[in-house]
Amino acid sequence: MDLAASSTSRFSDVDEYGFKRSDNFDYRNYEQFMSGYLKTLTKRRMKWEAILQRNADLTTIDSKLKRYIRKGIPGPFRADVWMKISGAAKLQQRSPTLYRNLLGAHYEKEICDSITIDLPRTFPDNIHFDTKKERLFNILVAYAHHNREVGYCQGLNYIAGLLLIVTDDEEKSFWLLKHIVESIVPQYHTKNMANLLRDLAVFKEMIMRRAPQVNRHIENLGLPYTVIASKWFICIFAEVLPVETVLRIWDCVFAEGYKIVFRVALALFLTHKTAILGCDDIAALANLFREKMMQGDIVTDCHSFIEAMFKIRLKRSELEALRKVCVGRNNT
Amino acid sequence: MATTARSGGNASGSTAQRPNGTQQNKNCQFKLVLLGESAVGKSSLVLRFVKGQFHEYQESTIGAAFLTQTICIEDTVVKFEIWDTAGQERYHSLAPMYYRGAQAAIVVYDIQNQDSFQRAKTWVKELHKQASPNIVIALAGNKADLSNIRVVEYEEAKQYAEENGLLFMETSAKTGMNVNDIFLAIAKKLPKNDGAHNQGAPAGRRLNDNENNRQTNNCCK
Ligand SMILES: Nc1nc2c(ncn2[C@@H]2O[C@H](COP(=O)(O)OP(=O)(O)O)[C@@H](O)[C@H]2O)c(=O)[nH]1
Ligand SMILES: [Mg+2]
Repeated sequence: MDLAASSTSRFSDVDEYGFKRSDNFDYRNYEQFMSGYLKTLTKRRMKWEAILQRNADLTTIDSKLKRYIRKGIPGPFRADVWMKISGAAKLQQRSPTLYRNLLGAHYEKEICDSITIDLPRTFPDNIHFDTKKERLFNILVAYAHHNREVGYCQGLNYIAGLLLIVTDDEEKSFWLLKHIVESIVPQYHTKNMANLLRDLAVFKEMIMRRAPQVNRHIENLGLPYTVIASKWFICIFAEVLPVETVLRIWDCVFAEGYKIVFRVALALFLTHKTAILGCDDIAALANLFREKMMQGDIVTDCHSFIEAMFKIRLKRSELEALRKVCVGRNNT
Repeated sequence: MATTARSGGNASGSTAQRPNGTQQNKNCQFKLVLLGESAVGKSSLVLRFVKGQFHEYQESTIGAAFLTQTICIEDTVVKFEIWDTAGQERYHSLAPMYYRGAQAAIVVYDIQNQDSFQRAKTWVKELHKQASPNIVIALAGNKADLSNIRVVEYEEAKQYAEENGLLFMETSAKTGMNVNDIFLAIAKKLPKNDGAHNQGAPAGRRLNDNENNRQTNNCCK
């Protein structure tokens, strides 16, 4: 059909961020989605131009701005807006020489080695990334020496890598990385990963409340939540979900904080309830989370996914209460 | 995708494919965990064994990964539940969850990296202390295709393995050398009496007949 032919010609096998699309990428579905989404993007861009003229430093995030951010920050403004709404820009202004000083300091060999191991395996399929490896090394090595409690944690390579793709700026990537690791999800990447283990337990409790049969099924099949979701939380979905979806998620994360991370994880479970319950052994379940879930609608229609995640009821007070209960758990 | 079906999950009703026609096969299921320092090739060994592939830039494992593969030895269908772990030291706190109840472990080191061999020895000690007493442990000296730049001698590792009652092979996930063989050697050493599939299975884990009878295209044909 014409549609199929034109969609393969219009969309190359590399996306706008330089990532190779998978062999089974659904071009037809994507074409359909994009024909509407592109128009929306253009409209949105004009609105954002107006916003930035009125409120250049984005100091207060009122409900209107929040709504706009949830609809997606236009690509060209993204780096700048992230820096402002997260507060990273302010921190950078306060310590303008920090990053350069870190780069000039002495590096520990052990840290360098562990980063170097992960460089070639960070986004090997991204066509721009070959030239970015050295800059990614700089960001990670600077951060590891800046925050000794974290050092280098596997997974940060994917976060920093994606930040670098979006900002195309080492220093901004450093500050945004610092914001994620220290303010959004503190103590996830430290040596004992205490808060990661706690929040995985919190997440399980939330599934038990919202979809007890799903939790029971997963428990019966014997797949721990740590296997399913560690990477989701450690990487804030980078290298887990498709890039466009991750960037839309990060828009909200920078504006609204850690609650969004739970929203996404909950949405992934709740929108796949039937599929999860349909798995009749542990291998099928693992495969659902590893491969099947990352194809289909989530890939082609990030917009609906974001909408779905905001339909889920979730209160900060519930999260905080569960966090108190789950401190110290490490067997989720 | 054929590989999906093979690695479990979608294999469709298959009792009819029972090999050797006449004989009723035994089915065993074993939990196997891979341990070892980061970047020694754990995930690559699993990928080679389960999908027959090798990626030069294998993504790093965050947390852990789970895959299955089935092989046949004599009249027994052996299904491995494979738990591939993250190598970085800080992920260590998660490891006991994966080796708890495991009937087998492959401890991997990189023959070009002396530290990774020392780390492997530490894993073996931890397993002897903490894992089930009957666990079958194999030591894999991986990246054997690079043996011209090795720093860990074959004899040294072999002797260590013998002293500690481990199976030992040098492997290459890249060329495939000894990859199937090491899993096969483990399968041979595991007890395959009736009900072996139940030992040490995670709590709440049930095998229904349907699952038990699944066949895969990797074996017996
Ligand atoms: N030459 C060679 N390279 C290998 C072999 N096995 C793995 N690698 C490479 O070593 C790196 C780390 O492998 P990976 O499987 O991710 O190690 P893991 O961290 O232990 O899971 C990857 O770049 C692999 O391509 C092997 O047998 N030979
Ligand atoms: Mg790995």
